[in-house]
Amino acid sequence: MNTSEEKKRQTPLSRFMSAEGAGKGSFPPGVGEHVGEVIESSTTELIAEACHLHGAPSFGRFIRVDAEMSIIGIVFNVFTHSVEPNRRPMAYGKTEEELRLEQPQIFELLRTEFQALVIGYLDGDSPVHIVPPQPARIHSFVHLCDDEEVRRFTGTDDYLRSILGTAKLPTDELLIAALRHTLEAHENSRAYLVRMGKELSRLLRDDYDRLSSMIRRIAQ
Amino acid sequence: MLNLHAVKTQIDQMVEDQRGVQLDFQAKLNLALKEHKALAANWEMLARKIEKSKTSWLLPGLVESPDRRYGLPPRPERISVAATDGSQIFPDRHEVSSCYLINIGYILLHYGSGEKPLMSSKPTLYYKDENVYEEWGGRRMFVNRELVGLRRGLMEFSELTELSLAAQEEGHRVLALSDGTLILWSLEGKPQDFKETYLQEFMESFERLRQARIPVVGYISRPGSQDLVNALKLNLCPLEVADCDRCPWKGENQFGSAAEKIESLPADSGQGLPCGPLEGLSDAVLMRQLLKVGERTPLFKSSSKILDSYGPHYIYFFYLHVGAEIARVELPEWVAEDRELLDLVHACVFDQAEKGQGYPVTLSEAHERAVVRGADREAFYRFLGDTFVKNDIKVGISSKSLKKRHASI
Repeated sequence: MNTSEEKKRQTPLSRFMSAEGAGKGSFPPGVGEHVGEVIESSTTELIAEACHLHGAPSFGRFIRVDAEMSIIGIVFNVFTHSVEPNRRPMAYGKTEEELRLEQPQIFELLRTEFQALVIGYLDGDSPVHIVPPQPARIHSFVHLCDDEEVRRFTGTDDYLRSILGTAKLPTDELLIAALRHTLEAHENSRAYLVRMGKELSRLLRDDYDRLSSMIRRIAQ
Repeated sequence: MLNLHAVKTQIDQMVEDQRGVQLDFQAKLNLALKEHKALAANWEMLARKIEKSKTSWLLPGLVESPDRRYGLPPRPERISVAATDGSQIFPDRHEVSSCYLINIGYILLHYGSGEKPLMSSKPTLYYKDENVYEEWGGRRMFVNRELVGLRRGLMEFSELTELSLAAQEEGHRVLALSDGTLILWSLEGKPQDFKETYLQEFMESFERLRQARIPVVGYISRPGSQDLVNALKLNLCPLEVADCDRCPWKGENQFGSAAEKIESLPADSGQGLPCGPLEGLSDAVLMRQLLKVGERTPLFKSSSKILDSYGPHYIYFFYLHVGAEIARVELPEWVAEDRELLDLVHACVFDQAEKGQGYPVTLSEAHERAVVRGADREAFYRFLGDTFVKNDIKVGISSKSLKKRHASI
């Protein structure tokens, strides 16, 4: 498989291609393929460059970072900007398709990055709902969590606490989005929804308005 | 440091002088326009006069009426444009090592297909004795800025050739864009063996492109060339065949008849000569008045001496109004004589400049990929020094370099 892929890549233009980007995955990513690479990392947050322009995981999705103990995070911010700090995108007055045909270079000069809140890690297969002892390493690959991984990590309400405990994020929005993704992974189980609803009402018992607004939006 | 106070008075003087020049300029331009218009009727006579005359300035070979203008032909929907540019870290005796580096930027943009473009760069480090010392004309010398610059130019062109050929091999219809002139006039006056070696490599690239029928052009932004104005100047000369060495209007007893002395005359000394009134005007200024956006002039044949060694790749040029400016586009004979390729060049070069807001987008992107900035250069030497030290190789930088980095009071 690998050799045939390598053979396919060896074309007359190969020698002019830059080494960087050669290891980027396909789009949309196949099962198990990475969607990004860590470029900034701290104990509680990380920033990853998406493999493809506009190819970041959606807001509220669970991600896993390759490490000895895989780090689990939730995407809370996606942004696209110019690769070079001194060059800004400008309006061309053309549709994206027209631009792809007639100004193809601009898509090479933009990149998409996403920011994730670190909410725990996997110790072997068991989920641990505290920040990992060491942050993700720069250049580690970032994967989307599959349904099984999401289920394993969201069996309890601890992830809701992790999100609510972070002050500077769009906390409510993130919690709603994460919960909706989680619900999908739990096959829209009514029992799971009720359980999380109860946990949430406990967590937000001192703010009725906020709670009712969130529950309304989760149900939408 | 620069003493701005001391410069200020000189700038004032310069502005004063420029004001006088501007008044004179409009009169020159009007005369040039009048002369240019008159050429329509008698350009063939002028073409013959150009062939016979010996002037101290470059004259263009006229192949068709100079007042012809060509409208913008349509660009093929699918076309790929290749461009390269280069940048370097010059060898520096005061640094850790006397090596040098050439960085080439590659751009291949595919239009009309939505295919992913190729945008990359590749650095090459030269450090071996045979790279750092060169022997030309029997003299062994340490490679200098000029030699590195020439080598870089050569590399830009041969890599452009390789890139275009590879793109064609993958099924693309390609136009190759080179930054700057295709006329290697800087080789004139160099030792014969040096000139031949460089020219040969250059010509080999041309030949491979010709065999593949890939049009290649040199794009010159803001050209200062005066070939066409020089032709108008020649037309002002009352002699049937001009010979600047024996110009009867020159104070010959004052200057003698040596050509190099005439060339060294200050610019305004031409006022007394019949050809004087057009002195100092450039072709681009004249063409700005005559061409509409998208239009090009007819082809002219350059008469640079170095082109005698170009064989079938003799260089022609035209001026093109790209909107923001008048550009000079140079191309080899086999493109000039192939109407299909010529139209392709005209359409694509204009399109490129339009896409790049006045300057071909592939060339500016190639530059962005190639450029080695001051900070990169410093990082390079720091990295080089660190690696040397780690591997126990003795390093030393000169006191001059050290002083530049840490100047004390």
